Amino acid sequence: MAWRALRRVGPCLAPRLSPLPPLRLPAARRLATSSLVLSARKFTDKHEWISVENGIGTVGISNFAQEALGDVVYCSLPEVGTKLSKHDEFGALESVKAASELYSPLSGEVTEINAALADNPGLVNKSCYQDGWLIKMTVENPAELDELMNEDAYEKYIKSIED
Amino acid sequence: MVLRSSLKNCLQLSCVLRTPKAGFRSTTSGGLIIQSISNDIYQNLAVEDWIHDHMNLENQQVLFLWRNSPAVVIGRHQNPWQECNLRLLRQKNIKLARRRSGGGTVYHDLGNINLTFFTTRKKYERMENLKLIVKALKALRPRLDVHVTDRYDILLDRQYKISGTASKLGRTTAYHHCTLLCNADKFVLSSVLKSPYKGLKSNATPSVPASVKNLFEEDPSLTCEMLLDAIAEEYATQHQMDHHITLINPADETVLPGINNKTKELQTWEWVYGKTPKFSINTCFSMVYKDSVLDVKVDMDVKHGRIEVCNIDLPEQWLPPALCSELVKSLTGSKFCPSETTTLATTLLRVCPQDDELHSRWNLLCENMLMLM
Repeated sequence: MAWRALRRVGPCLAPRLSPLPPLRLPAARRLATSSLVLSARKFTDKHEWISVENGIGTVGISNFAQEALGDVVYCSLPEVGTKLSKHDEFGALESVKAASELYSPLSGEVTEINAALADNPGLVNKSCYQDGWLIKMTVENPAELDELMNEDAYEKYIKSIED
Repeated sequence: MVLRSSLKNCLQLSCVLRTPKAGFRSTTSGGLIIQSISNDIYQNLAVEDWIHDHMNLENQQVLFLWRNSPAVVIGRHQNPWQECNLRLLRQKNIKLARRRSGGGTVYHDLGNINLTFFTTRKKYERMENLKLIVKALKALRPRLDVHVTDRYDILLDRQYKISGTASKLGRTTAYHHCTLLCNADKFVLSSVLKSPYKGLKSNATPSVPASVKNLFEEDPSLTCEMLLDAIAEEYATQHQMDHHITLINPADETVLPGINNKTKELQTWEWVYGKTPKFSINTCFSMVYKDSVLDVKVDMDVKHGRIEVCNIDLPEQWLPPALCSELVKSLTGSKFCPSETTTLATTLLRVCPQDDELHSRWNLLCENMLMLM
């Protein structure tokens, strides 16, 4: 994505991660460490994020990515039932005449797509971690989650590609 | 000059290309300039796919120069019915292609130059590429008033678009391609890029129409070869490499293994039409039949280019209701395309009673249905 374009805009627009939304787990479940760990947002080096709750991962793109893309005008998403392997292309986002491929952070099957994006693709910009999610998927191999970056590591990663 | 020996260059390229793990062997220079010897839109788009999929652009960037015989090229997420006049395209034998990059619809002919800048995703920078083109144009004709807009268009005389841009970002590589209008047929351009279809609703990316001008209208002494040469020279200077254009044949499997499959895929109905984002048609047309006018209302949902839901509202008893519902039934699930509709209409008619009146009514309805496609 267009990192360099972003950098020219100046430091005021330097990507920042918005704070994690409160976990929506019932109090009792919060104590179960595995669930807690799984629900934290994890990132790929291609700037997709995934957060897993009850075995279902929600996938979106990071704030850094949405800022770099600019106004998203079309979201091409897979059909429910599509089987994805980690790194598979699962769709594309179009913004300012550019089509950017999306890559699956994990292996699994698409269980839901964000239907609101058909009429309102700008949600990806406005709310990339909440209303602008892209797909939900099963998690075939939970170990793959460990290969992804946590929020801190991702933030460091962004800094490293910016410098 | 640009078009130096052809055969020799092709052979050289094959040496460069035929390395294990596909791709151009890394050379000491930081770049490679290639030009297609084909004017076929599908073949040339396949070259882009091939380079995107197989080349390691970490140590060298690539500039690809190409021109096409008449073709309309729509963006990845566009609706061809919304963007152009498909019937006119068929009549004039103008090809329709869908590219993998975003952006709007363009018309190509030999009076238009296409340039593709391949880089890693990190080095992808559209503005720099467009500035390079403007610099090359200025070097050739210092008095040309050309500049780049923030929509990545190049404007001539502050108002006429001479270049449009689109790009694709993959996992590690990216490309930015753009057009450059030299002496394209502006009459054909504007007539094919007008859609006659009414009542179409879609979330597909719409094109933004612009007034265009050919560079040669401004300066008739220019030629496409001069422009290609000037751009190649500027590219070579900026990449500190030899200004040398290697010719490439996009049908040559020995140089580009697997390319013919890529070309074929780009020609399939499933890619060109089937990739159209879901859309709906809510329209009416009037049919004149034996001095009376009938209004017909048609509603359809089309997904992946196929009719998913179909409703045809005809005046009662104009056609036997059973026949009409048979038509709706067979249209549902079939391709939103005139040839497939013709075939199924003919098949249905064959099982009808031999009744001239019925046949002419049926044909009139089917002709009008075809006009929607």
